[in-house]
Amino acid sequence: MTFQLLRRRYEQLLEAIVLILMIALTVLVIVGAAFRYLGNALTWYDETASIGLVWLTYYGSALAALRGAHIGVPGLVNAMPPALRLVVTLIAEAVVILFFVLLAWYGLQVVIVLQGEHMITLPEVSSQFTQSVIPIGATMFVIAEILRLPDVIRAARGRGFLDAETLEAMSHGAPDATGSTGAH
Amino acid sequence: MTITIMLIGMIGLSLINVPIAIALGFVAMAAIALIQGPSMLPDLALEMFNGASSFPLLAIPLFILAGAIMNASSISRRLIAFASSLVGFVRGGLSMVSIGTSVFFAEISGSAVADVAALGTILIPAMKSRGYSKEVAAATMSSAASLAIIIPPSIPMILYAVMAQTSTVKLFVAGIVPGVLGAVAMAGAAYYQAVKYDFPAEQRFRLSEVWRTGREALWAFILPVAILGSIFGGIVTATEGAGMAVLASIVVGGFIYRDLDFRELKKACIDGGIQTAVVMLLVAASALIGTFLTEAQLPQALGHAMTSITTNKYLVLLMLNVAFFVLGMFLHSAAAIILVIPIVMPLVHAIGIDPIHFGLVVTLNLAIGQQTPPVASVLMTSCAIAKADIWDTTWVNIPYIVALVAVLLLCTYVPFVSLGLVHLFYGG
Repeated sequence: MTFQLLRRRYEQLLEAIVLILMIALTVLVIVGAAFRYLGNALTWYDETASIGLVWLTYYGSALAALRGAHIGVPGLVNAMPPALRLVVTLIAEAVVILFFVLLAWYGLQVVIVLQGEHMITLPEVSSQFTQSVIPIGATMFVIAEILRLPDVIRAARGRGFLDAETLEAMSHGAPDATGSTGAH
Repeated sequence: MTITIMLIGMIGLSLINVPIAIALGFVAMAAIALIQGPSMLPDLALEMFNGASSFPLLAIPLFILAGAIMNASSISRRLIAFASSLVGFVRGGLSMVSIGTSVFFAEISGSAVADVAALGTILIPAMKSRGYSKEVAAATMSSAASLAIIIPPSIPMILYAVMAQTSTVKLFVAGIVPGVLGAVAMAGAAYYQAVKYDFPAEQRFRLSEVWRTGREALWAFILPVAILGSIFGGIVTATEGAGMAVLASIVVGGFIYRDLDFRELKKACIDGGIQTAVVMLLVAASALIGTFLTEAQLPQALGHAMTSITTNKYLVLLMLNVAFFVLGMFLHSAAAIILVIPIVMPLVHAIGIDPIHFGLVVTLNLAIGQQTPPVASVLMTSCAIAKADIWDTTWVNIPYIVALVAVLLLCTYVPFVSLGLVHLFYGG
């Protein structure tokens, strides 16, 4: 498998996770609100939904890392000459990777310590399962960061980096975003 | 002392383009290891989990999704047709239509970038074909879209409410009057430009046309108003209202209008997830730093420093306005809220500024910040669609920015503009 294909497959995996989490959260909130309105509130709904948002945060962050979408301040780095920019960028990448490696490691410690604990409102679900998002999500972030490294080095040597807002703007500014053609 | 070193570390790492969230997390991690000892480091993992766990903030992905679903159906086209029948007869008709449609769209969407993408792709080419320069088209659409975050629902308002520990719902209500005033002020700026560049009117005003387009856009009106009504009335929370908005937009797009583009929808869903994650990672990391800020009493120190200069509420508001205006030029709006609000809130409380009133002031500043380069997401989206230069467009955008600043100053110094409706609805 080529590097590009591996990267594409990894992106598709993360996209699938994010898509499932978005749908699950939406359904959960709607069902939860409906039950509460009917006077039969689901006790576990707030806690589960909040944990779902944590999951979306870390799996979505890994996907954002792969796309270089995290909010940063690239102005100063872009103003540097390419040689210096490359050195500084590699230091920045090292900081990011080190942080998530350590977060994964200590997240794993937490998961081990939580043996036997469970959710407050849903005792069937162990806290080890809910907290697993930190070590797994952090590891997936590190993989995403490594997969994007060739792009980052190319950008550092070339014209520099776009900031998150410009990327967001570009993703929305696509000419096919009119939405006027129906699926039917 | 510790906090000074930490601040230098965070700024230093951010300046070498470490994402802000990770710069905060890294510095907090170093501080925990050095001050509390490495045995406390598992707390970092726990805090990064707890910091992202929030029921109120769940409204953010849901409102993003609801707006995206509306975009993936024919709702924008229907709202544009209705706005044309209402205000198309005025000189500079298409500018008026852009502003009018943005007012309607703002009840569905909480993100100005999403608005400009949905409406700009239709209205900017239309304006260009009617002889508007690409800069005018980009500037008009960009400024009109800023209404999305002033008129509820609003993603920056949800973030502010959580960070400032105040009511999202009251903040939503407080945005209604300033939003309408903003639309009127911008319509004035649009009229000035229409006369200056001699733009045409679009169509004659006919009641039959208003009736016809109004009926076609009916659902796009009724549902958002019903959902906002349920939120304001306390029947549902803001998060549940956001869930209802998703459901409603699926029903309208998929079953009533029957023109949902599912491929577009899937992409929007994933993009919405990413946008949420980026904001939430910052929220979680800022919670880590917050503990140290509180220990060092930095927000209180800032409060004392400011109050030793002046205790005049309006002078302090002026200073905060200038600070947020400058921040808005250089910082992503979500980042500005997450980083700055926890630090300035003790000052805001000490001076006796109503946190809802201040929330409106912050939101308006960020709406302007999204128009002022170098960092200006909404303007950049608009310019990308119009293929216009950002700085040339900014020059043309000045009358609109002046209109928004006028509304900001009015809201800052006449609290009744934002708080009047809140007091009417909820007393106090």
